[in-house]
Amino acid sequence: MLRNYSKSKIGMLVTGLLAAMLGSEAQATNWLMLQGTEPDAAAPRAKLWGFIQPEYQQTDGSEIAAGPWAGQNAIFNTIAPDLKSDSTFQIRRARLGVRGTGFPLDSKVNYFFLAEAGNNGITRQGGGSVKLTDASITLNHIPHARVRIGQFKTPGSEEGLQAIHVFDYINFTNVSNQILLERFFDGDGTGTDANKPNGPVSAFRDIGVQVFDIFKTGKWEHSYAAMIGNGNGITRSDNDDNKDIYLYWSSEQVYGGKGARRQGLKLYGWLQDGERTLTTAGAGEYDRTRYGIGTTFRKGKFRAAAEYIDADGMIFNGTDGGAVAGSLNNAGTKVASFNIEPEGEADGWYVHFGYAPTPKWEFDIRYDQLNRMTDVSAKERQFETLTLGAQYFLNKKARILVNYEVRDAEAPNLPGSAGPNLILGETDDRLAIQLLAIF
Amino acid sequence: MTTRFKTLLSGFLFIALIAINMTVMAESETKPFAEKKVVLQISDNDPSKQTLVLNVANNLMKHYGPDKVDVEIVAFGPGLRLLFADNSNASRIQGLADNGARFAACSNTVKAMGKKLGHPPELNPNSTKVAAGVVRILDLVEQDYQLIKP
Repeated sequence: MLRNYSKSKIGMLVTGLLAAMLGSEAQATNWLMLQGTEPDAAAPRAKLWGFIQPEYQQTDGSEIAAGPWAGQNAIFNTIAPDLKSDSTFQIRRARLGVRGTGFPLDSKVNYFFLAEAGNNGITRQGGGSVKLTDASITLNHIPHARVRIGQFKTPGSEEGLQAIHVFDYINFTNVSNQILLERFFDGDGTGTDANKPNGPVSAFRDIGVQVFDIFKTGKWEHSYAAMIGNGNGITRSDNDDNKDIYLYWSSEQVYGGKGARRQGLKLYGWLQDGERTLTTAGAGEYDRTRYGIGTTFRKGKFRAAAEYIDADGMIFNGTDGGAVAGSLNNAGTKVASFNIEPEGEADGWYVHFGYAPTPKWEFDIRYDQLNRMTDVSAKERQFETLTLGAQYFLNKKARILVNYEVRDAEAPNLPGSAGPNLILGETDDRLAIQLLAIF
Repeated sequence: MTTRFKTLLSGFLFIALIAINMTVMAESETKPFAEKKVVLQISDNDPSKQTLVLNVANNLMKHYGPDKVDVEIVAFGPGLRLLFADNSNASRIQGLADNGARFAACSNTVKAMGKKLGHPPELNPNSTKVAAGVVRILDLVEQDYQLIKP
């Protein structure tokens, strides 16, 4: 049985450890360049690659403790994306891609193509069990201003921007999962239907045009990116006349190495700003702004990362009564819906520390906190997770990850006996085991 | 044939012989103490071969010492991409060149690639054009260079 443990004191310990490690010496990689470009005059015409992530996840399956859906499955204790079980095997991701130069004699034109066939929020909504996640062309003709066009990861939070197959954890932090990994709805949830997503999750991607490049000064590598995109997710066109703007800057002191596990200390900041259009309940246009600052560190056996994220507008606000969307309440009078607070605010942060005592083993610990609906006292919800992780590297391209998430949630401004706290108090810890193979 | 003519002819032949020897020697005289002479061929399109050939050159120099091994990398066919000016390995090439490695670029390939590109490719300044890469390899082999194709 998975038990709930208090995390606040452990969270403070992690923060202290992180501060100590940063003083002495995270994943310091330039994702803009790694994902958007190919090595000059040294790239193939077409390099086939991909990865598979089969996994098992489990909670205790604690049910809703109070409210109109009491006794039913609590959505936060079911396993995504299907939300039907508290324990499941699944193929979380199965991606196949090809990238290269197309015409090897000319390094100035690169392409990147990636498709997803796994079981996740990309493939489970919007029709079709195989979805295109990336399809882009990068033009490297203008000095200091590379141009990437198509569908690809937006410049922003490190969790979103980094390649998922080198992520040190199985699940995202609460702030990334709820606030940055956008779900698209027709309404705000105040209607009578389940208000289920109208398409795949954003997967931290958009369709648009990005200008970016790097500048080196001594050991420092500075990157910038500016992008304009639809702001309506992947594999479909825009649904309104508004466009999202993405801005990004990073400065990294590179210690050495190359590729996804390059060593260095990176400082970064980013901004995403756009509008969303709701067409049913709560119809209207609403601002959606996200911004963050963070740092990553990777040197020798040590890794660390920290990021603070702020959100204004279009705040994902869970489901009615903590129930699985589409469930009828016990009285048979209402269907639980997904909810959006179009003018709400939220913020969150995380710290991560990793230690790899040998090339085969890495141990990770991460504390994250999401404060949702900070602008309305009674609606504010706080989510805390302490993730304990271990990775065993079978080889450079295959590893096993085991995560144990100590999870806690509450309505901090409501009494403990209030319905929301009774419901959130049943948030289970979660065990996740994943095998990753890259080819 | 008069004596004067014979003398002039002998002198001319002598000077010519010295000049030829100096030309031949100049190529190996850059490493007068070299105990090993190696020509590395790169003619593949596979980018991993670029890394491999540079690694081999580097390993040779590390093992024998830069002064004790004479290394020339000859690039032709698709392998000529290694010697493009914007190649991502340019800094490694510079490092090897600083230790005396030489880089030969096949002019036939340069011409053929120029036709496909619409303009001649810009080459790494550390490279020297040779008439034909394969001919250069044969010439070096005749001068007792060991041919290695990683």
